[in-house]
Amino acid sequence: MTTETTLDEHGHGEDGHADQPSFLAHQFDTPVQQFDAAKLGMWAFLGQELLFFSGLFVAYGVFRLWRPEAFAASSHELNKTMGMLNTIVLLFSSLTAALAVRAAQKGQKSQTSLLLVMTIVCAFIFLGVKWFEYEHKFHSGLLPGKWFGLAREFPSGDLMRGEEALPALPTGASVFFSLYFVMTGVHALHIIVGIGVLTWILLRNMKGEFSKEFFTPVDNVALYWHLVDLVWIYLFPLLYLID
Amino acid sequence: MSTHDDHGHGEADDGKVHSHISSLPQYVGIFLALIAFTLLTVAVSNIHLGKMNLVVAIVIASMKASLVILFFMHIRYDNKFNAMIIVVSLLFIGVFFAYTTNDTEHRGEVDLDQTVRILPSTGQPAPGGQPIDE
Repeated sequence: MTTETTLDEHGHGEDGHADQPSFLAHQFDTPVQQFDAAKLGMWAFLGQELLFFSGLFVAYGVFRLWRPEAFAASSHELNKTMGMLNTIVLLFSSLTAALAVRAAQKGQKSQTSLLLVMTIVCAFIFLGVKWFEYEHKFHSGLLPGKWFGLAREFPSGDLMRGEEALPALPTGASVFFSLYFVMTGVHALHIIVGIGVLTWILLRNMKGEFSKEFFTPVDNVALYWHLVDLVWIYLFPLLYLID
Repeated sequence: MSTHDDHGHGEADDGKVHSHISSLPQYVGIFLALIAFTLLTVAVSNIHLGKMNLVVAIVIASMKASLVILFFMHIRYDNKFNAMIIVVSLLFIGVFFAYTTNDTEHRGEVDLDQTVRILPSTGQPAPGGQPIDE
């Protein structure tokens, strides 16, 4: 270790190694050490995210085991086609996110930007489809908990669909729709956060902050986006496709 | 660190990041497989298999999840410690689910006619079920 510190023409400290690249934080010796630390931190966060969502999935499991017939009948009220459309949109956005990382790894700046924009557009399409689904449920009285059925006009608990009342769903349907709105709602919140971080990375990429040597933020944001996709991969069959 | 020699990042210990870059056909292939699994799970949901429907849906979803984790999230080529984090997370979700449902599925419900606690699934007297004094 040398105690003498000189500055090179870029203003970086010389500490006896080759000159430090601008992206390398001073606490790391090498880019690969910084890369490994960042990825480890991201995976620890993603592990936490899985455990966070697991609370909702276990709640779903408990209530579905208790009331299988209510879950099946309620599931038929959801629009399979819209659910499948959103699944495909989200899978495609995962592809574009993975390809954005690939472009960043190869130092193709404009291609990275284009793929990030495509990912963000897919996120908005997903939210748009979700909005139409939610709106339909609001109008049909398929609401969580005590709001279920909008039953004031129909004390029997029958569902109001516009002018007509349809037969009541089995007991426990309100629990299904509570879980439906909380699970898809928390997932949609993750999509909104994803749009935020993808936009942040897009702006940094346009400023030219990333290169073949330093693409870690693109990589980590894509990992987050894939996790959002992972959660939906399970939500889709569990909510929409109950026999 | 030795971690980088373990997964074939090359022997050059120059401190630079040498991460695996997957090919374009591989990414597109994985995406098409994911779409195929999605169509398959929708198709199977229209066939009545009783309880097997849930099992099939979970198996297909898990195959999709594995493809995303291994190839889109690069776990196949990544530091094995990161793979361990996700595997352990899933393991503990299993523990969480098993212990919770082991409780909720074995609670006796009160049968008011028999004044005895019964197993909700079979209608038989629950283990440890007692007559209710009322």
